[in-house]
Amino acid sequence: MTEQNQQFESSFMDDYFAEADEHLLSVRRCLLILDGSVGADVSPAVLEELFRSCHSLKGISAMVELREAELLAHHMESGLRAIRQGEVHLDAASLDTLLAGANALEAVIVARREGLPMPSEAPVIAALGTLASSASAVRSQTATPSSAVAPTRGWFVKFVPSPELVARGVKVDAIRARLLQVGKILSVTPRVQASGGICFEFEVQADDEASLAALIGDGISYEPLPEIAAPAQSDAAAASEEPSTSPRGWEVAAGAPGNFVRVDLARLDDLMRIAGDLVVTRSRLEDTLHRVERQVPAREFRLLQEHESLMERQLRELRDGIMRVRLVPVGEVFRRMPFVVRDLSRDSGKRVQLEIAGQSTEIDKFLIERMMDPILHLVRNAVGHGIETVDRRVAAGKPPDGTIRLSASTIGESVIIEIADDGAGIDLAAVAQRAPAKGIRTDEGAVDSRVLLDIICASGFSTRDEADRISGRGVGMDVVRGTVQELGGTLEVDTEAGRGTTFTITLPLTLAVIDAIIAQIGDQTFAVPQSAIQEIIEVDPGSLRSLEQNELLTYRGRALPIVRLGRLLHISAAARPRLHAIVVGTGLSAVGLLVDRVAGHREIVVKTIADPLIRVDGVSGATELGDGRLVLILNVAALSRGVRERRRTGERALA
Amino acid sequence: MTEKALPAESAKTQTYIVFVVAGTSYAVPSHLVQHMEMVEQVTPVPNAPRFVEGVVFSRGQVVPVINLRARFGFERTTINQRARLLVIQHGSRNVGLLADEAREFLTIADGSIQPPGDAIGNLSGSYLDGVATLGQRIVLILNIREVVESTPVAAA
Repeated sequence: MTEQNQQFESSFMDDYFAEADEHLLSVRRCLLILDGSVGADVSPAVLEELFRSCHSLKGISAMVELREAELLAHHMESGLRAIRQGEVHLDAASLDTLLAGANALEAVIVARREGLPMPSEAPVIAALGTLASSASAVRSQTATPSSAVAPTRGWFVKFVPSPELVARGVKVDAIRARLLQVGKILSVTPRVQASGGICFEFEVQADDEASLAALIGDGISYEPLPEIAAPAQSDAAAASEEPSTSPRGWEVAAGAPGNFVRVDLARLDDLMRIAGDLVVTRSRLEDTLHRVERQVPAREFRLLQEHESLMERQLRELRDGIMRVRLVPVGEVFRRMPFVVRDLSRDSGKRVQLEIAGQSTEIDKFLIERMMDPILHLVRNAVGHGIETVDRRVAAGKPPDGTIRLSASTIGESVIIEIADDGAGIDLAAVAQRAPAKGIRTDEGAVDSRVLLDIICASGFSTRDEADRISGRGVGMDVVRGTVQELGGTLEVDTEAGRGTTFTITLPLTLAVIDAIIAQIGDQTFAVPQSAIQEIIEVDPGSLRSLEQNELLTYRGRALPIVRLGRLLHISAAARPRLHAIVVGTGLSAVGLLVDRVAGHREIVVKTIADPLIRVDGVSGATELGDGRLVLILNVAALSRGVRERRRTGERALA
Repeated sequence: MTEKALPAESAKTQTYIVFVVAGTSYAVPSHLVQHMEMVEQVTPVPNAPRFVEGVVFSRGQVVPVINLRARFGFERTTINQRARLLVIQHGSRNVGLLADEAREFLTIADGSIQPPGDAIGNLSGSYLDGVATLGQRIVLILNIREVVESTPVAAA
């Protein structure tokens, strides 16, 4: 280990000891209060604080790899969870166990600090373990569907729009509003029906079936969600609405105390791959089935089709199940950041507050591991380039402490991670000046967010002349964007002088298998992830109007900008009497991507495109539809954004 | 396998896969060739460099296909039964090279390979590692790094 590393580590450990002391103090204080109330009602606030301190101890101990402390804190947490949930009565014996746990926790931390031999924590862990397991025993006896479980239920609500409904103003937004009055919307998925029309499938959580039943009509129908799926999803949804500091969201991932299994990620990868292979095999089966339709008696064929569609549904459940196992809270990455920020801000003499939100947002384990370095880089940049020094902030009339906000949320099948600072914003003039050196053309003074991103992501770009300690190490912005794109996501930047900069990363919830619309342009086939699609409409080319260099379609009383994907992708196609527009984006940013034909909906296995020769804007991956041919997956966000920007900046990007 | 204890430097040999592009024979060291296959459907990739024919699945992997004719500045021809895709390992990448045909396996002594001179006038000259003379025959040794990495500014 180099001297510098040693220094770094020792300062890191100092931070740890300081923080651990704080939490230990709080643990002791809470235990003392509880000691005074044995037999009486336990204050939930005290329990909550105790739980939170143990949880933090577990987290920070894991970071410095003090396994003994992590384990002890974890078992304290499990015991406390049991008490908090009322499954274990807090008596003198259980309090003694907790006190012993706190003492042991302190002992291992002190041992580490003083370099003493580690005391054995096994007996204490065993005692704590009994506390938690007696709880799960109690729970398994009492947990009947009727008792503790809330009356809340999941519903599958389907809305089929029709011209008649649209004329009356009944659109999907109106339906959404109605459903929100009845309960909570867990997800919305637009689907293409066998007839070619589109429908919307909502998963709704509602207490009262009667109020839901009242909504029937207007294209709405509903049915209960399968029992198995509903609770898990409602848990996740509830957790994401927890306040950011609450540790409760972690329970979603942790599962029942003492009841979870550690699995090697490679094994899950294997399962996912097998499920992916099955998806491909099934679509081959479907193709074959269509080919033999005429040779099989109608009755037998119908049976075959029924089995086939049953298999499709079961496969979907299988891969959803595997996917859920792979999801981990994004907080795993976030919780490293306070240390990073503290370290960096101390070195640079800046004062920085880090706000973290949505750390219980779940994302595929593989994705989050790959995102660790990019997020770290963006946070470092925010401290190094974003936040100003105290003097400058005060001079600008800002509070002396800068704020960096790190947040995550789930929208549909995407996870959005934002890194926002309230610093000086990116100096657009300085960036524009350096751009030509990177071979990027800019018009006088006109640097919009897309061009800005191109410039700062050009390899080796820095607006500072010397690479300083904070930002000038690790990966660069080019690597950040490369990683995000490789994972099928997008990176956006928004900056305002004097107000700060926000980087927004949008990632798919998971790789592997997604729902997609299959579209054709000329003789080529593409897949479009369904999560990106608002709706699909049929278009009569004669109804398109040209305005300057853009085509518009009047749709639902609004002008919808149209992009001919064939032109954008350089595919020649014969004129057709009817086309389809895939609508992406909402409100003012809605764009209709014109394709020749929408050929249906498929479940696809996503393969990432890593090779630089074929990593192009607008393509996020590749898949196979069962015939061995490779089909590209379009990144519609990138395609439509490019077009929007181009329109705004007067076709400059085409030059 | 080629590292047998042979006395003279010139006696060292290596095995090569020989393929044909626009009537000329080229060779790549066989240990770099993952496998060869017939060319079926190549999916075009919009906005990729012009010499990229497209992309295929090869043994479950996404592999870019470089059209060697286009890469060397020859005219493209339609892909027929004799065309072969050589999937080459280059560092951590797997890249497909599209050749007109590939049917030969040759052992070439290092001593019979000369550096590419100015004599090779055509564009493919910059993609060469050397020129092997085998009796009457001339085989050009491909520089894979040049073919795969040196990207002329892509006209998107």
